[in-house]
Amino acid sequence: MLFNSLQYLVFLPTVFLLFWLLPHRARVPLLLVASYVFYMTWRPIYGLLILGLTVANWLLVNRIEKSVDKKKVWVGVTVAVNLITLAVFKYLNFGLDTIKDGLALAGVNWHEPHLHILLPLGISFFVFEFIHYAVEVYRGKPVVKSLIDFGLFASFFPTQIAGPIKRYQDFIPQLSIPAKFKWEYVDDGMQMILMGLGKKVLIADNLAMVVQAGFSHPENFSSLDLWLITYAFAFQIFFDFSGYTDIARGSAMLFGYKVPINFNLPYLAANVSEFWHRWHISLSTWLRDYLYIPMGGSRGGKWLNYKNLFLTMALGGLWHGAAMHYLAWGAYQGALLILHKEYSKGLEKVGVASKLLSSKLYHIASIVVTFHIVCLGWVLFRADDLNIAGKIMLKLAEAPQALAHFSSSQLAVLQIRDPIIFPSLVLIVPALMISHVVVNWLNDKKFYQSPPWAMQVAVMVILMCVLTIFSPDSSPKFIYFQF
Amino acid sequence: MKSRFLVAIIAFVAVSAVWGSTRLGALAPSDFPFYTWTACAIEDFLSNEQGRPQIDLVGSSLMLAPIGGVDADFTNAAVDAPHHHRSLYFENAFKKRTGESVKTFNFALPGEMPSDAYLMTKFLMKGEKRPDVIVYGVGPRDFLDNLLPSPSATDPYAWLSRFGDVNDRISLISPDWQQRMNYEMGRLIYPYGQKVDLTNSFGRVVASTLNKLVPPTNGGSPMSVRRVILPEYRNFEVANNECLFTPTTDANRPAFSDNIAEYKKRYKHMKWDTYLTQMRFMIDILNIARERKTHMVIVAMPITPINRSLLSDLAWDTYKHSIKVIALAKGATFIDMEGSGKFGLKDFSDTVHLHSGGGAKLLDILAEKLSADRAVMTALNQPAKIDDKSTTVAGLKGSLQ
Repeated sequence: MLFNSLQYLVFLPTVFLLFWLLPHRARVPLLLVASYVFYMTWRPIYGLLILGLTVANWLLVNRIEKSVDKKKVWVGVTVAVNLITLAVFKYLNFGLDTIKDGLALAGVNWHEPHLHILLPLGISFFVFEFIHYAVEVYRGKPVVKSLIDFGLFASFFPTQIAGPIKRYQDFIPQLSIPAKFKWEYVDDGMQMILMGLGKKVLIADNLAMVVQAGFSHPENFSSLDLWLITYAFAFQIFFDFSGYTDIARGSAMLFGYKVPINFNLPYLAANVSEFWHRWHISLSTWLRDYLYIPMGGSRGGKWLNYKNLFLTMALGGLWHGAAMHYLAWGAYQGALLILHKEYSKGLEKVGVASKLLSSKLYHIASIVVTFHIVCLGWVLFRADDLNIAGKIMLKLAEAPQALAHFSSSQLAVLQIRDPIIFPSLVLIVPALMISHVVVNWLNDKKFYQSPPWAMQVAVMVILMCVLTIFSPDSSPKFIYFQF
Repeated sequence: MKSRFLVAIIAFVAVSAVWGSTRLGALAPSDFPFYTWTACAIEDFLSNEQGRPQIDLVGSSLMLAPIGGVDADFTNAAVDAPHHHRSLYFENAFKKRTGESVKTFNFALPGEMPSDAYLMTKFLMKGEKRPDVIVYGVGPRDFLDNLLPSPSATDPYAWLSRFGDVNDRISLISPDWQQRMNYEMGRLIYPYGQKVDLTNSFGRVVASTLNKLVPPTNGGSPMSVRRVILPEYRNFEVANNECLFTPTTDANRPAFSDNIAEYKKRYKHMKWDTYLTQMRFMIDILNIARERKTHMVIVAMPITPINRSLLSDLAWDTYKHSIKVIALAKGATFIDMEGSGKFGLKDFSDTVHLHSGGGAKLLDILAEKLSADRAVMTALNQPAKIDDKSTTVAGLKGSLQ
C-alpha cells in the first residue's frame, strides 16, 4: 500500500479511529494486525517472511540474553540469519551476475541460473532493525518481553517500507504508555502528512520527469542541461524521501508515537561529514553504530580508520541496491569522507587563519562546493549503470567551457515547452535551494516551535487545495521503496 | 475550536463549495489541452464545417484501419489518420448504388470499446448532430479484452466523459471501489473533480508567462524529441501527419504482420464481467439510438481464423450469438461480415485488421447491404434498392432457428 494512494486514505483513518476507540490493551494488537494488512496488500505471501523473521529474531535474541558464555555465538547466528535472508532476496542474482562477469573476463563462458526473486518491500529496513536489536541485547540492553510489542516494532506500518530505521529502546517504551487522545496528535500528524504529500506530489514527482529524461537520454542534453538535471535529481530524491519520512512520522504521530527524524537540511552541509549527519540520519547512525564501530571505528590508527570508513560507506552504498553503481556511489562517499579528514588535518597543519575558516564567505563557499560534490555522487546513484554515469560525468566536465561561451540556446530544457517543468527548471532549482536557506533561518528564529495558529491553518488549507488539484491519478512510487 | 486540522478541513470544504459555485478554472469540454485520436475526432465532429453527417461509422481499429487505408488508395494521397473522419470510398460506393449522396462521419477510434461508443452516442450524436444511421463494426476484442482494467481506462473515456454525466452508469464504468471513490470524491470536492481543467488552466498561465519571459528559439523543441526522451508522457497524444495512411496497391502492400502474441495476452483469461459490462453498453447504445430515431447497423467485423482460434468455443459462440440476438431484439440491422465467407487471409494486414484491399471489399459489401436495407434507407429518407431478407428481422429470425 502506498502512502499516496486512495487505499491509504481509507486505511489510515480507519486504523486511527479504531485505535482511539479501543482500550489501551487492544491498541498494540490492533496496530500489529493493521501493519500486516498494510504489508500484505502488496503480496500476501511475504507477510509470512516478515512474520518468520520476527519470530526467529525474538527467539534468537532471547537466547542471546539468557546465554552466559555463548552470547557471541548467538549474536553471530542472529546477524547471520538476517544477513543471509537479505542476501538471498536482494543480492543473489547480483552475486551470480558478478561471478559470470568475472569468469567471462577469464574467458570462461558460464550460463548462470537466473532466479526470479521479487525483493520484499522494506526488507533492508526491517533487517537492519533486527540486527540493531540483537546487537543492543548482546551489549547488555534488556530484551522485549512481549512478542506482540516486538512484532509491532518490526512491522509498524508507518515505518515498515522505507524507515526511518527505529531504535527499539525509543519505540518499545512508547507502546506501554496508556496515552489519552490529544488533538495535537491529529494536528501535528496531519500537518506532517500534508507537508510530506506536498513534497512528494508537487515537487519530487514533477522533477522526476526531467530527471528521467536526462538520465535516460543524456545525449539529448548539453553539459549545462545535465548540471541542471543533476541538481533536479538532488532535490527530487530529497523531497521524495523526506516527503515519505514526513508522512511516516505524521502517521505515527496520529497514534501518539514518535519515530526518528531522517533529514536536517542536508544541502546546507558545509562538508561531506556534515552532510552525512544531515542526510538519511537513521541509516548513517545505524551504519556508524553497527558497522563502523564494530569494525574498529577510529581506533587502530589512521589507515585502519580510513579502511573502516571506506568499507562502511561502500557497504552502505550496496545496501541501497544490488548494482555496481550503488557500490561506486558508496565508495565515492567513503573516499570523500577520507579526503575531508585529510583536508581538515591539512588546514590545521598549514595553520590557515582561523578567521578565514570561520568567515561567512568560507562557510557559503563550503556549502556550494559540498553541494556540487554531493551532486556528482548522485549521478552515480541515479544512472542506470556505470557506463551511463561515466558518460554524464564526462559531459558535466565540459561545463566550464560551456559557461565561457554561455548562451541560453545551449539549454535544451528551455526549448522543451511541454511538459512545462523543463523550462521551469531554471527557476525551480534556485527556488528550492533558497527554500533550504529560508527554512534554516526560520529554524534559527525558532519559528517552528510556535508558528501562528492561523498560518498553520492557512498552510493546511492551501496544501489540501493544491494536492487535490495536482495529485496525479497514479503517482510514482517513493524512490526508497525499491531499497 | 480545539483542533487546527478540523478548522482547516472546514475551511477547505467552504473554499471548495465557493469555488464550485463560481466554476473558476473549469474549461469547456471541447477545450483540449492536447490532441489524441479521440480529441481530434470530437473536435472534427463538433465543428460546423462537418454539418450533420447522415451515417456515423463507429468501432475500433477494426473499422478505422480499413476506412482510412481505403481512402488513401481511393484519393491516391496520404491520409492524416487522426484527422480523417469521412469514408469517401463508402460515400462513393453508396452513391453508385443509390444515386444519392450521403455524408459520413468516421468515429472509429483505436481501442474503442462499446462503453466509449455509448458515450459518443449519448453525449454527441444528438440534436443537430443526430445521424440517421449509425454503423457499428464490432469484433470479439471489443467485449473480451481482459487487459482493460475498466471502461474508464481508455483514452476515449477520458475525453468523452467530459461531455455529460456518467453517474447513471458509474457502477459499470468504475466497478473497482477505488475508482468509484475517486469518482465520488470528484463530485464532492470541486477542485478534485475539476483537477484536469484546473491543472491545464494553471499550466497555460505558466507556459504563457514563460514564453513571454524566455521565448523558445526556432519554435522550441519538436514533439519528436519529447517522444524519445519522455516516451510515457501523454502517450496517446498524436501530432499532425504523425500517423498516415499512404496509398498502396496489391504490389506494394506491406507484408502480413503477425500480432497474435498481443491477442494471446488479451484473451488469456476470460473476464466475463468485462464481457457483460460491454454487452450492456451495446444494449444501451441501441436503446438510445432507437429513442432518437437513429437506425443502428451492427456489423460483425471479419477476423482471421488464427485470431478466432485463440478464443474458446464458448466465448466465441457467446459473442456471436449475443450481438446477433441483441441487434435483432432492438430492431437493428445485423450484417455478419465475419460469417459471410467473403474474407480470406489475403485481405488482412494482420490477424484482425483488414488492409486497404480488404477494406474496399468490406465497404463495397456494406454499401450494397445498406442500400438494400429498407430500414436503413427509410432512416435516410431514401427508397431501398433491393430488399435483402438476410439483414431484416425476418431474415435474422430465420438464421437463428
